[in-house]
Amino acid sequence: MDSWVIAMMLGASIFLGAVALFAFLWAIKNGQFDDEEKFLNATKFDGEDELNDAVKQEQKKEALKKIIDQSN
Amino acid sequence: MPNKVLCSHCHLKFDESVMIKEVNSYLSKESSAPHSVTHYFCCKGCQGVFHLLNEEGLESFYEKSGNIELTPPSENFEDALNFDSQSFYDRFVKTDSDGFSEVSLIIEGIHCSACVWLNEKALHKMDGVVEANINFTSNKATIVWADDIVKLSSIIEKIRSIGYNAFAYDALAQETHANRERKSYYLKMAVAIFASMNIMWIAVAQYAGYFSGISQDVKTILNIAEGILATPVLFYSGWIFFRGAYYGLKTKVVNMDLLVATGASLTYLYSIYITVLEYGEAYFDSVSMIITFVLIGKFLEVLSKKSIADTLDVITKSIPTEVKIVKDGTIVTCKLDDVNVGDSVVVSSGEKILLDGEIIKGDGSFDESTLTGESEPVYKSVGANVVSGTVSIDADIHYRATKDFKHSTLSNIVSLLEAAISKKPKIQQMANRLSEYFSSAILALSFITFLVWWFWPHSFETSFMIGISVIIIACPCALALATPVATLVGLSLGASRGILFKEAAQLETMAKADTLVLDKTGTITVGKPEVIKEHIYEEFDKKLLYSLVKSSNHPVAHGIFEYIKIQDENIDDIVFDEFSQVSGQGIKAKYGNKELLGGNKKLLDENGIVVDYLSEETLFYLVIDKKIVALYELADTIKDSAKELVRSLNKRAIDIIMLTGDNATVAKKVAVEIGIKKFIYEQTPLSKAEYISELHAKNKTVVMVGDGVNDILALARADIGIVMGSGSDIAVEVGDVVLLDDSLKSLEDAFKISRTTFGLIKQNLFISLAYNAITIPLAMAGYVIPLVAAISMSVSSLLVVGNSMRIRYKWKKE
Repeated sequence: MDSWVIAMMLGASIFLGAVALFAFLWAIKNGQFDDEEKFLNATKFDGEDELNDAVKQEQKKEALKKIIDQSN
Repeated sequence: MPNKVLCSHCHLKFDESVMIKEVNSYLSKESSAPHSVTHYFCCKGCQGVFHLLNEEGLESFYEKSGNIELTPPSENFEDALNFDSQSFYDRFVKTDSDGFSEVSLIIEGIHCSACVWLNEKALHKMDGVVEANINFTSNKATIVWADDIVKLSSIIEKIRSIGYNAFAYDALAQETHANRERKSYYLKMAVAIFASMNIMWIAVAQYAGYFSGISQDVKTILNIAEGILATPVLFYSGWIFFRGAYYGLKTKVVNMDLLVATGASLTYLYSIYITVLEYGEAYFDSVSMIITFVLIGKFLEVLSKKSIADTLDVITKSIPTEVKIVKDGTIVTCKLDDVNVGDSVVVSSGEKILLDGEIIKGDGSFDESTLTGESEPVYKSVGANVVSGTVSIDADIHYRATKDFKHSTLSNIVSLLEAAISKKPKIQQMANRLSEYFSSAILALSFITFLVWWFWPHSFETSFMIGISVIIIACPCALALATPVATLVGLSLGASRGILFKEAAQLETMAKADTLVLDKTGTITVGKPEVIKEHIYEEFDKKLLYSLVKSSNHPVAHGIFEYIKIQDENIDDIVFDEFSQVSGQGIKAKYGNKELLGGNKKLLDENGIVVDYLSEETLFYLVIDKKIVALYELADTIKDSAKELVRSLNKRAIDIIMLTGDNATVAKKVAVEIGIKKFIYEQTPLSKAEYISELHAKNKTVVMVGDGVNDILALARADIGIVMGSGSDIAVEVGDVVLLDDSLKSLEDAFKISRTTFGLIKQNLFISLAYNAITIPLAMAGYVIPLVAAISMSVSSLLVVGNSMRIRYKWKKE
């Protein structure tokens, strides 16, 4: 077995692990684990409506941002 | 049998007769017959919320909340427009970088996660609300909105309309700072643990290769992979050690951070050198392990620290900022600081007196327990002095301010308190002191080893490697974990027995304490008068007495009320034809043709009834138609296990002193009964605190136990302030340790736990030092191979953790 195989496997696995790590770090920074109760209960209230609501909220924020920018 | 039904909104059960019944009929799509549903509501408020939710399409709330009982919505709120005032905005509302406004609120009435869902959903539906985030655990909400489109008052009204209420609170800089610090630790630990775990499995290959042979180029690849993983651990996760070492050096202190930082970075540089040279063993695994372990130890310490600023905040917040004064014949609200000497201040019953003064109109009783600690109300009338900090129980008075707020007793106490809290004596922790010596010694030893080997003579490389191996093997991991793991065990032992230590370091301080100062009322005694003797001279209807004492909130009346209740649980009430309370004397009532009097000797004297009974205790006479029919003797009873506490603490050579606001006779009686040799009576809050300072001057480590507002100064000054859980809010906030069940048995346990924990800390430190005593000479002699270094690191840490778990297990079994 050539040593480059080891290098490649190491690189690939560490990269995959790092992707998961960064997702986790992002989630911590985003405050997703701040409230343990809510975090655990979130599964109960998850559904299509909630996703739609989140997207709408995002759009509303963008729209409001524009209005504020214009007024300034 | 009345039929109980559920309210459709709040799910509380009431009789059907009192409920608002509503029949809704509508046509369903499936069948042509009209379909009807009946709803019951306990109040208009619930009905309103129920319909609002249905209109807004939020009715799935009821499905989500299940059968959880909610609080029916209140209808009396302060005007929501107050939230739009400029002063409110200045204080609570921030503007973020996008130009949105942001406020922190506490939402009242949250019972379940469905409530959180409902509030967030309802707010998200509002125009102009960008974000509403409610924390279920703390009920704190952050709301972001565009102020041009929607006003905060409408947001608050929305929250109220769905049956909740919101208060603004100062998201203190301190609080956000603490949260941010914790979060940054999470991030750093996540990176460190991830990298260490990956390095670990690469290291397995390295060790296997060390024994069975491995080609140099594979070894180099493994080294490089480890090096890449170790880099973020050292420079990102380990950054706090560099920072700590820098600040330590600035103040000329060699601390553990310096040892960790130099050890880890030297090892890191050396390992890079080895990797490039393609010769010898790299130690990247040690780099990441040291940082990870010590970081976890540090995190445990950060977790159990309480913030001084939060305490101060609670104290100042408990003082209202406005008072009502009479100006030109009308009552106006005025800022507390703007009241001048001579102004006439209006106080209604239940309100706190904020300025010192003299009563010019009205009379009534006052609760002076904040100053004296005694729960007995004091009757005052025109001409008497009122002191700030006391509370009017039933008095509607006008008083003339004799001092402005800055010079009042209350503000005096507050500033003393603030000084005491921020200058709380801190006994240096044993581990910190030890690590200082340890770190200097290891750094020196490593340098000496290097020099000796180099001059022996050996190559620079070999000598350097052996010098570094001393630092690596003198792993500070076990030392860093010794204290936090032990205190964590102590904290959890306490918590399971209803003893809350607010800060880990207090366990150690308490273990070193040699003096215990006890407050009498509420601490040694129950703090409420209880009937100890009953004399019945003539038979009478118990119902009369029961109803008489039930209608008074005086502690003596309450004591008798409890007493009768225990004798006859199902006793009924009667309604008096006439009823009046005589302040400082008792109660007068009329029932049919019977005339009732209940109260002390003064009341009887006033009504021309002669009594000749003498007693040390508080007496309550019941007179029916001018004849004494019963006499009750009441006294404050001593809590269970007070004697055992005194005995067991005497055995531990702890001095016990009792402080009380009461007079000498009462103090002596209690002290003698439970076996306390030293007691000081007629103490004011100030003199109690002074006494603690005197003890400090004698180099004593003082534990103070109290429960009331009158103790807070002393509690704050003592090394450890222990508060009864039922004590006043401020006292609980100021105290370092809270005894949730109010018992003296817990106090004894708290001493035991703190001593056990301190013993555990000592054991752990000994284990880690003993480990070093064996391995460091080996390292200096050059016998340490990388595997041994790595294993010794893990084993010493495991020993420390294992030893702590052993103590925990032992206690759990008891």
